[in-house]
Amino acid sequence: MAFKDISIVVARYLSSLELAFRLDRGTPQANLRWAVDGLAGALALGVVAATPVAAQEKPGSLGLGLFTFTSGPAAAYGMPGKNAADLIIDEINAKGGIEGVPVSATYVDEAQGAQGVIAEYRRLAGDAKNQVMVAALSSANCLALAPLAEQLEVPTVGWNCDTHQLLIDGKSKYVFRPNGNTVPEFVAYAIYLLDRKPDVKTVAIINPDYAFGHDAAKIFTAALKALKPDVEIVAELYPKLGSPNYQTEISRLATARPDVVFSNLWGADLENFVRQAAPRGIFTSSQVILALGETVLQRVPLPDGVIVGVLGDGWWMSPDAKANPETVKFAEAYKARFGEYPVFPAIKMANALIYVKAAYKAAMQKNGGKWPTRAELADAMKGSKVATLTGTAQTRPDNDGLVDQIVGVTVKASAQPFPVIGDMVRYKGDSLMPQAGQDPLAWISTLKPEFARRLPKPGSYK
Amino acid sequence: MRTLLAAAAVLTLAVLPIAAPWLQFVLTLAIAKGFAALGVAVLLRAGLISIGHAMFFAASAYAVTFLARAGIHDLGLLLIFSVLAGALVGAVAGSFLVRYRAIFFAMLNLAVSMVFYALCAKLYGVTGGTDGMAVPVPTVFGLVLSEPAFKSVLFYLSLGLMVLVGVSVQRYLNSPLGHALAAVHTNEIRLEYLGVPVWAVLLIAYVVSAALAGLGGAIAGFAIGRVVPDFAFWTASGHLVLIAVLGGIGGVPGAFIGALFLELLHSAAVTVTDSWNLIVGMTLIIVIMFMPQGVYGLFARKEASNL
Repeated sequence: MAFKDISIVVARYLSSLELAFRLDRGTPQANLRWAVDGLAGALALGVVAATPVAAQEKPGSLGLGLFTFTSGPAAAYGMPGKNAADLIIDEINAKGGIEGVPVSATYVDEAQGAQGVIAEYRRLAGDAKNQVMVAALSSANCLALAPLAEQLEVPTVGWNCDTHQLLIDGKSKYVFRPNGNTVPEFVAYAIYLLDRKPDVKTVAIINPDYAFGHDAAKIFTAALKALKPDVEIVAELYPKLGSPNYQTEISRLATARPDVVFSNLWGADLENFVRQAAPRGIFTSSQVILALGETVLQRVPLPDGVIVGVLGDGWWMSPDAKANPETVKFAEAYKARFGEYPVFPAIKMANALIYVKAAYKAAMQKNGGKWPTRAELADAMKGSKVATLTGTAQTRPDNDGLVDQIVGVTVKASAQPFPVIGDMVRYKGDSLMPQAGQDPLAWISTLKPEFARRLPKPGSYK
Repeated sequence: MRTLLAAAAVLTLAVLPIAAPWLQFVLTLAIAKGFAALGVAVLLRAGLISIGHAMFFAASAYAVTFLARAGIHDLGLLLIFSVLAGALVGAVAGSFLVRYRAIFFAMLNLAVSMVFYALCAKLYGVTGGTDGMAVPVPTVFGLVLSEPAFKSVLFYLSLGLMVLVGVSVQRYLNSPLGHALAAVHTNEIRLEYLGVPVWAVLLIAYVVSAALAGLGGAIAGFAIGRVVPDFAFWTASGHLVLIAVLGGIGGVPGAFIGALFLELLHSAAVTVTDSWNLIVGMTLIIVIMFMPQGVYGLFARKEASNL
């Protein structure tokens, strides 16, 4: 409700400007009236925004701030997240909401950059109705919002905050990540690669030119060097984010002729790269690893044998997912509504919302059925273990998440018109994570080949 | 009348965050961008459009994080040194950029700022790449403040600085050095014949405007708590020019009025729809079409008719 009021007041505030158009020929008094009018509007705006809602009674609706990219190139990854949120929130509300309270989400477009995202976060946090933030997609935005979450004491669930820097100090009280992070995600690819292709000698890396690309390259290289010290990195290419043309990079890859090409390109970049690299034989001359390959399975014809994964366990066709009727229902509903099956960003968002829902249930059990405060909610998230659509999300004492990692290769399936993931392995979440407080890169450098031998083998997850 | 209106406006700004705490951040950011836009407006006096001022904005903000890393933790010192850093970058870039005019000046500024942007994004080990660097909460005269208290201090400090710096810039523009800028715009050769070195006039203006952008950048860095290369991206520079033009380049308050208008408009638009860009864009078109002198033109024109 307060939202509508705010919009009305904002509209009024702006309409007073329109008044000014006519007044510019007028008397000074009229100008003063404009200023007073504006002042009144602005004050009313503030009062409405600042009015708190009693937290202990069940409110009329539960506000969620959902941060994702809904415009710009990153929307290729952000929109599946928004779609999934729409779907799962409708599903929750159809069953009466979270503990009887209907959910209403406010989406914030991350394409406005850190400044706009912070302003929106503060505004949403100022309304006590918004108890939880699900933020964010971009790691720069996650890092910018984390100190704010602690300061404003708002439980903030990182639905796609995979940077290993996010919770590295171990002091977070309000920031949670029911996901893996870049460390287990990319170490998993190194282990899978060495299991599948033990004689690999040369590796080339082509990642997007920003922190995610560089982090992934660093982690993947460190893991390979630790597990097989004679591996040589023959090329490290960082094309600009949003490049339409990869011919130069592909030429470099073709002349370097590496055994393996690793890439964590994503969105339209990944589609472009695959479309341009396939005709030039990169997929036949090298073993290609596409860390975010699952997101394009339904869109570009990937050849067989490409190592792909889902940066977590969010593969909607995994054996665990197929065994869960909720997940099957979700995937079908998603396909019916949005025209394609949920890619892993969609599953990540859905799981994050399930995580929030479970936290409410746990918090209300703990305090005897009263509607929880933000602090009680954060308390309930700490150390929780939640069954998601595709597995479990366990929260460590340092608020970091333990989620299994699924990796496999593309295979043709008779049931689907697009390739699916076969020869899968599912690494346990805690097996690929450093201990809380340990420096991740230092931990990776201590890994020994024996460590990889104890882990499950490709094809073991059926 | 005019002073009264200005005082009322500053007072309104001071009171607003008490009523709506979230506005404090928006307003701090708006004032920060106002400083930078003022820097752009100073050069506009001489008919020079800089599409690269976000470089100084970012340089100062990065300077804050590097200085904090080097062990300086006082807000005052950080602000002074980071503004000096911005001015220094301005002096270096300005020493060769002020030889150019018109489109060449605009494009070279753009080019230099994009080199700076690329360095910030690419020097991953030094600047943290696109994830940027965190700006710590500094002490204020030795006092260790909690983050909310610091943000309030920062807001009221920027508000105070807005008035102080605004008055100083006004005096600078009214001095012979300031009037020389307009003279550069109308007839540069005549200025040289009068014995005024155009190069020095412009270099001083360039350094002043870089320092102003730097002050804005430092404040924005403190307010956001994180510095990312996007601060220096060319769209950010364009944004500053837009604010300067939108507010009206006739006087010092124009830059701040433009910044406040744009930030509040942006805040209002994103709450209404996903296509907030459309609303912001359309409003800008309307303002530019119907208020050619900017928002500040409303007040300035009235002043003229009163004479």
